[in-house]
Amino acid sequence: MGLLKKKDSTSARSSTSPCADLRNAYHNCFNKWYSEKFVKGQWDKEECVAEWKKYRDCLSENLDGKLLTRILEVDGELNPTKQADSKESSS
Amino acid sequence: MVKAYRQEHVYKHPWERVSAASWRKFADPENKRILSHILEVDTLNRKLDTETGKLHTTRALTIHAPGPWFLHRIIGQDICHCVESTVVDGKSRSMQLTTKNISLKKFIEVEERIRYDPHPENPSAWTVCSQETSIRIKPLSALASMAEKVEQKCAEKFMQNSVKGREVMERICKYMEAESARI
Repeated sequence: MGLLKKKDSTSARSSTSPCADLRNAYHNCFNKWYSEKFVKGQWDKEECVAEWKKYRDCLSENLDGKLLTRILEVDGELNPTKQADSKESSS
Repeated sequence: MVKAYRQEHVYKHPWERVSAASWRKFADPENKRILSHILEVDTLNRKLDTETGKLHTTRALTIHAPGPWFLHRIIGQDICHCVESTVVDGKSRSMQLTTKNISLKKFIEVEERIRYDPHPENPSAWTVCSQETSIRIKPLSALASMAEKVEQKCAEKFMQNSVKGREVMERICKYMEAESARI
């Protein structure tokens, strides 16, 4: 299973993420926004905010903390400038 | 020990469509069968600069990476976590993705950089994708003596998967083209 706290290793192959529905809702919203607005230059406003918040809350409740720390470390390596000017995107 | 590979591919679709397809690449249930090594994709962070039209996104990929038996022995798992960082510049029409592994970092580091840009000869209708993969085995790791072999295997796997990834991208683009024609 994904990033979520491990329950048992046999479930590793299937997508049993408790956030799967919220994730799909967010990704569908994002994809629609991306192709219908963002690429047409309409980026003046954040969208899918409610979907994002619900999904993110679910993730932060279920994410494996140790793994998340490692992810954020690597993300920092990939974007050395991002940390400095990072501001919360939706809350 | 670093191995680097470069590939280029031209999509006969506009950048807007190709970059949108890239977001959908791992999510589509139909593609999941082809790209079956991708188990989960989660968005961890997003940031839109509403002034400049720059979109930063961080996603976590969970990949099923069955390795040779000795890898299993050492690592005890066949699931690999990667972090993918994407910057889309809506103004200049560019998309850059960088993916790195988090799991097994002690042994091996794989970094993949993909760029999607409008094709210089036909910027409104074609998109060029350039992909660079570098694979580095840590010289002091327990795998050092087998490093060459592991690198080779790893590289082969990457090539196979990037061909599959391209097929999926082409399919989504075609689908989106048909979809936009219907509207």
